[in-house]
Amino acid sequence: MDITSDTHSQHISRQFNHELEELKTHLMAMGGLVEKQVQDAVSSLLDADSALASRVVDNDRAVNDMQVKIDDECTRVLARRQPAASDLRLVLAVIRAASDLERIGDEASKIARNAIELVDGNNGTRGFVEVRNISEHVRHMMRDALTSFARFDTELAMQVVQEDERVDSEYQSAMRSLMTFMMEDARSISPVLGIMWILRALERVGDHANNLAEYVIYLVKGLDIRHIDPDDLNQELLDDSSTS
Amino acid sequence: MKIPGHTAVGMPGKRRTREGPLAWLAAASVALSLIMLGALLVLLSVKGLSNFWPATVHQLTLKGGETVIGVPLETRELPSRQGLERRYLTANRDDGGGIWRWLANDQITEDTTPEDLVVLERRHWGTFFGRLVALQSGDQRLTGPDAWTVLESRLKEINALRDERRRLTHDEILPLIRSMEDQDGHRSEDRRLADLQRRASELQQRMQGDLVVLENGQGRRQEQALAEILEAWRPNAMAWHEKLGHWVRELWQFLSQGPRDANTAGGVWPAIFGTILMVLLMSILVTPFGVLAAVYLNEVAHQGRLTRLVRIGVRNLAGVPSIVYGVFGLGVFVYGIGGSIDRWFFESTLPSPTFGTGGLLWASLTLALLTLPVVIVATEEGLSRIPLHQREGALALGATRFETLTRVVLPMATPAMLTGLILAVARAAGEVAPLMLVGVAKLAPQVPLDGEFPFLHLERKFMHLGYHIYDAAFHSSDVQAAMPLVYATALLLVTVILVLNLTAIFMRHYLRKRHGAPVRR
Amino acid sequence: MSIDGELPKRQLAQARLGNRRGAVMEFSAADTCLDIQGLTLAYGGKTALKDLTLRIPRHRVTAFIGPSGCGKSTLLRALNRLHDLNEDVSRHGQIHLDGHDIHDPRVAVAELRRRVGMVFQAPNPFPMSIYDNVAFGLRLQGGLSKRRIDDVVEWALKSAALWDEVKGRLRASAWSLSGGQQQRLVIARTLAVEPEVLLLDEPASALDPISTLKIEELIRTLKPHLTLVLVTHNMQQAARVSDYTAFLHNGELVEYGPTDTLFTHPRLRRTENYITGRMVG
Repeated sequence: MDITSDTHSQHISRQFNHELEELKTHLMAMGGLVEKQVQDAVSSLLDADSALASRVVDNDRAVNDMQVKIDDECTRVLARRQPAASDLRLVLAVIRAASDLERIGDEASKIARNAIELVDGNNGTRGFVEVRNISEHVRHMMRDALTSFARFDTELAMQVVQEDERVDSEYQSAMRSLMTFMMEDARSISPVLGIMWILRALERVGDHANNLAEYVIYLVKGLDIRHIDPDDLNQELLDDSSTS
Repeated sequence: MKIPGHTAVGMPGKRRTREGPLAWLAAASVALSLIMLGALLVLLSVKGLSNFWPATVHQLTLKGGETVIGVPLETRELPSRQGLERRYLTANRDDGGGIWRWLANDQITEDTTPEDLVVLERRHWGTFFGRLVALQSGDQRLTGPDAWTVLESRLKEINALRDERRRLTHDEILPLIRSMEDQDGHRSEDRRLADLQRRASELQQRMQGDLVVLENGQGRRQEQALAEILEAWRPNAMAWHEKLGHWVRELWQFLSQGPRDANTAGGVWPAIFGTILMVLLMSILVTPFGVLAAVYLNEVAHQGRLTRLVRIGVRNLAGVPSIVYGVFGLGVFVYGIGGSIDRWFFESTLPSPTFGTGGLLWASLTLALLTLPVVIVATEEGLSRIPLHQREGALALGATRFETLTRVVLPMATPAMLTGLILAVARAAGEVAPLMLVGVAKLAPQVPLDGEFPFLHLERKFMHLGYHIYDAAFHSSDVQAAMPLVYATALLLVTVILVLNLTAIFMRHYLRKRHGAPVRR
Repeated sequence: MSIDGELPKRQLAQARLGNRRGAVMEFSAADTCLDIQGLTLAYGGKTALKDLTLRIPRHRVTAFIGPSGCGKSTLLRALNRLHDLNEDVSRHGQIHLDGHDIHDPRVAVAELRRRVGMVFQAPNPFPMSIYDNVAFGLRLQGGLSKRRIDDVVEWALKSAALWDEVKGRLRASAWSLSGGQQQRLVIARTLAVEPEVLLLDEPASALDPISTLKIEELIRTLKPHLTLVLVTHNMQQAARVSDYTAFLHNGELVEYGPTDTLFTHPRLRRTENYITGRMVG
């Protein structure tokens, strides 16, 4: 059966409701922080603001702390409540999502560190267009993934999964054009490599956002769609197999 | 944490004071019951057991010069003037009627306890207080201390002879006569009977012949056949351990011998035996009936309105006065069934009834009927207390309902059945009223169990301790003289009931341990 | 993408998803031990079971869960016809044990109950010695030699993992054992008559956690030899020991499936609500 966003607040034990609600709230808070980290990291590059970039690097510790906190809470719920079915899936999804968010946080600080180098090197704005495009796209995916988690919205989650394919192809074409730059101008190799690292990090962020979306589908439908070609998945198929 | 409106545990609050009076009342009730029970036992023991103690005999000289020999009893205020008077047991019924005398204290000028005073227990005329003057054995005439020594040894001999003669009469002559009545006389048996009778009269001869010369308080002499005397002792000359020995002997005789002198003296052995036998027979009759009835009501019958009605009926039967059961037993068992048995099987002896009159069987049956409700109710209680899961456990192992009943339910209910039986025994042993109608006898020296076929004589009348008390207390010629006996018999009856109950309680305890039943009662 | 290419791919994806949904009821008719068909049971006008149909697999542990009064114990007691004892019970539908109707008039109820053993909520050893308790069922059958009974008693106590604890005091009263030991004694007593099915009616609800685990371990070791049916209030216990779980509510079978599936993603909201501690509604 499918669950909805208020499923976890219907237990006879109100304390349990509260604990699960806290898990979700903390995950969303962590998601918000991570989203801002990614945005700040990209902005620091585009606006050549190395101070902002250093703040992003510093803030990564806060992200890590939040993951530890969420993991602790999940362990407590598992030990004390022995959750079953949708409750169990929620706890598992939150653990996994927290782990993916922490990785996104790592990617953001990686972007920020590269940005500091690029800004300090004062190497012009080559590749910034690609960064802006892909980052827009990836941040959109992240926002959607978090929203689908908050609303238990599998349709939105499916969109994220499908979006990831497009990010991947954009990334491939951006890499090709940057390679061309490097071949044309040997002096640009170092800054373009920096941009390429940033793009790669952004692509990773997209993959993690994709994972988040997959957890939403697992959480809501009890269906593990990892490692299945997203082309073969659509809403009807999910609905079909959930009642079979 | 303090919850408003609640008193914390352990605080002296309203609860404890409210509980107080009830606890005190309950404790007081228990104490009162115990005191009453204790008083009853003490009264019975003191009055009953002291009867056998060889009391000191006093010789009193009165103002007029008259000498009285007696045992002092209670004192009271003189009715007409100042002073006290005391009752003395003077015995010697043959000496002028009474055996008591009230003497004012100021009348007595001298009170001594001479050692040569003797007390004689006689077959007739009760006890004798006085002095032994002489013993005439054949041509010999002994006086002084010799007379006493010879008297004691002669009494032993005579008692032995008397026992032998009783044995001969009871165990040989009477059965022979009865068997001769049954099958018309045989010559050989006639000869044997004559032989036995000769032996008996020979014993009788040997007992007789001796005479004692006695002197009472007033100094009047009288002669008495030694065979008339059962026992002689000189209480004033006895040391305390001799008195104790005498007391034990007397007690034993009370327990082991038959009554004498119209139930005012002698022992109560036939009554003890009759009571116990009747109760045992009643138990044997009532247990299977009661248990089967309870099993039917609780296990077999459909639990509907009819069953409930029957159950109410059974419980109410317990409240029917026992004399009503006696009437029922007389009408149905004695006249109805007994009469029919006589017509069918004992036609030859009619019109003298065999079963058509009160007897052991009818008395036991009547009491069984009387105690049936108790057994049924107790057994039912026990059966219903066995948890359902015990029965289901047996059924789930493939036992049928009957197997479950016999192998699990009934063994577990045995303690309850025994509880019922204990209550039944307690009630039956104390019941007198119905027995008067269906089989108890004032005097039945023969116990209903002997060596003669068929050993247990269900048709015989029997003696009962309860009835013995009634008889001694109301129907004897001198009620006051019989009072000590009444007390002793009452004590004995209580003891018998106690022993019967304890036996059942120990049985129950043993069974409960064997079956490990958890129920405590 | 052509339509021809799409179809097999979709089916493949569907199959992969299906596998990930967890196991399905994968036993055949031949593996069915108890086959309950449209069973409806009413006591004195009150319907306790409503049109129940389910198959219980051989040599597996099947658990019945559900709130109090849902009919799970009633269903269990129907399987060895213990409800026959109650008056005014009306029944529709059939129960087949190994293909034979247990309500067939030719079936001897006592023999059926021997084949379908039962262990109750509260340990109920008989008030006899440990030995006599185990030998009780054997003696009912009769005709067994003393030595044979000795052997079976020993075997049964060993099977119930109790032998080592009681071998020195077989003559002691069964009520001298602890609660957990008593329950294992009751299981040994049931095993002694070699049943094919063992019904367990909340067998551990009166026991402490360690004794409970011992009973659960015993259930696991008995599985290769017996079909076990377990009624329990304790959902974790059902999750721990059973292979299949049926959820009953108000006398109806709500959901029946492999335990793995039922406790991770049940199909129906009522099941989900019950196992996760919500009002079933």
